[in-house]
Amino acid sequence: MSGSAPDPPRVALVTGGARGIGRAIVLALARDGLDVAFTYARDADAAARTAREVEALGRRVLARPSDAARRDEAETAVAATRAGLGRIDVVVANAGITGPDGWEGVSTDAWHRVLDVNLLGPYFTVASAAAELRRTRGSAILVASIAASSAYPEELVYSASKAGVVSLARSLAYALAPEVRVNALAPGWVRTDMTRALHTRPKAAAAIARGIPAGRWGEPEDVAEAVVFLASDGARFVTGETLVVDGGDSLVWTIGAER
Amino acid sequence: MFDVRGYVVLVTGGSRGIGRAIALELARGGADVAVHFRAESARAEEVVRAAKALGVDARRFGADLTDREAVAGVVGAAARWKGRLDGLVTSAGIYRGPSLEEVDARGWEETERTDLEGTFWSVQAAAPFLRKSDRAAIVTISSVFGAHAAVGGAPYQATKAAVEQLTRALALELAPSIRVNSVAPGFVRTDMNRAGHEDPVFRQKVADSTPLGRWGEPDDIAPVVRYLLSRQASWVTGTVVGVDGGIALR
Repeated sequence: MSGSAPDPPRVALVTGGARGIGRAIVLALARDGLDVAFTYARDADAAARTAREVEALGRRVLARPSDAARRDEAETAVAATRAGLGRIDVVVANAGITGPDGWEGVSTDAWHRVLDVNLLGPYFTVASAAAELRRTRGSAILVASIAASSAYPEELVYSASKAGVVSLARSLAYALAPEVRVNALAPGWVRTDMTRALHTRPKAAAAIARGIPAGRWGEPEDVAEAVVFLASDGARFVTGETLVVDGGDSLVWTIGAER
Repeated sequence: MFDVRGYVVLVTGGSRGIGRAIALELARGGADVAVHFRAESARAEEVVRAAKALGVDARRFGADLTDREAVAGVVGAAARWKGRLDGLVTSAGIYRGPSLEEVDARGWEETERTDLEGTFWSVQAAAPFLRKSDRAAIVTISSVFGAHAAVGGAPYQATKAAVEQLTRALALELAPSIRVNSVAPGFVRTDMNRAGHEDPVFRQKVADSTPLGRWGEPDDIAPVVRYLLSRQASWVTGTVVGVDGGIALR
């Protein structure tokens, strides 16, 4: 055996990691052998539970409350991750909120709140971590949505914010190459707290599942495994891409699936 | 990591280049691989030996994929080999880069029949076997030229665009029993691109134009195919994943 020290464990920073897709991402990265820092908005109990699950997997964990819309808090989260876990190899900008219902009469404040969290937030997180990711030749993954690429007036503001995230991934991929890869993920209908109003109503939930070619709702783990893939060495030549994880939902248009 | 252990996968065009790398990556993941070849039996046998050295079973299957009956024969033989088929990777393809005026009937036919019909007939023949698998998935191989234009090789580009739409149409038609996705490589150092990467000027131009700063290698493409075939991608269908170092970002 050589006398060289073993490689230090890789470290991920996940925003919005306490619940839903973010929690699944945190746990999947931990299962893949990474130590994980994550931020959360308010739910300290859920954050503590997720942190304990990471520890049970034998990985180090750091959970801290953070406002995903604020540049200074993104910088603090990056600094705290470096201080606490030593380095950052993977950044997952997952924190997001749904917007106001509908397209009419959206207030300026509502627009700003959604764009601040969903679009500016990922920018602040990746920009704050850019120098460290360059140092570690790491990668960033931004969680967008299939709402970015189809008409969705019911959630116009949310959809527009997620379309921005897809664009962000492209430009940041170009800007941070060749040291850092940046990709986006576009999940479809996934069973989380965010979609609870739909998946807990049997008729609505079944109608949505029927409309998805794969025949089922997505689980947070479906998205998390895609993150693990994009963060892995197996994706070493993939950058600026948007990986769609939606059970084929975005293939469906008004009459396309009729026989 | 991305779990293909115990799968039986047919890789068309598996004797060389990207197909070879895919066959060996799947073997590393624990899949038994049926290695299709057109002409290069000895090279296919070398891939079979390398796969077996990784602890899985492998066998070569020869056929001309432009012939629908030959495709049905070889896919059937591959499916009977282990009594099941869980995956199909349609990696067989050719590249020609003539100008509009230079394309003759034979040149068009050669490209379209190998890259598009070969893919289609392979999927058609494999579907009945794949439907019996509880983890069935197909990965087609497109190209960055399936969605981004270049001067020269219009038939190849049109064919690859068609492969991408075939992927989407068949993902819908074969859902929910078989997932269908595509991988779109950029410039990759293979025999197919030998003229390009052996030309020092063009070689440098590609590297300089690629945000990640280099040509792709077959081993860059293979893990993406493995992920798409794996259980972990069981909710991914109808997508095209570019594996091009970001060359088409602008």
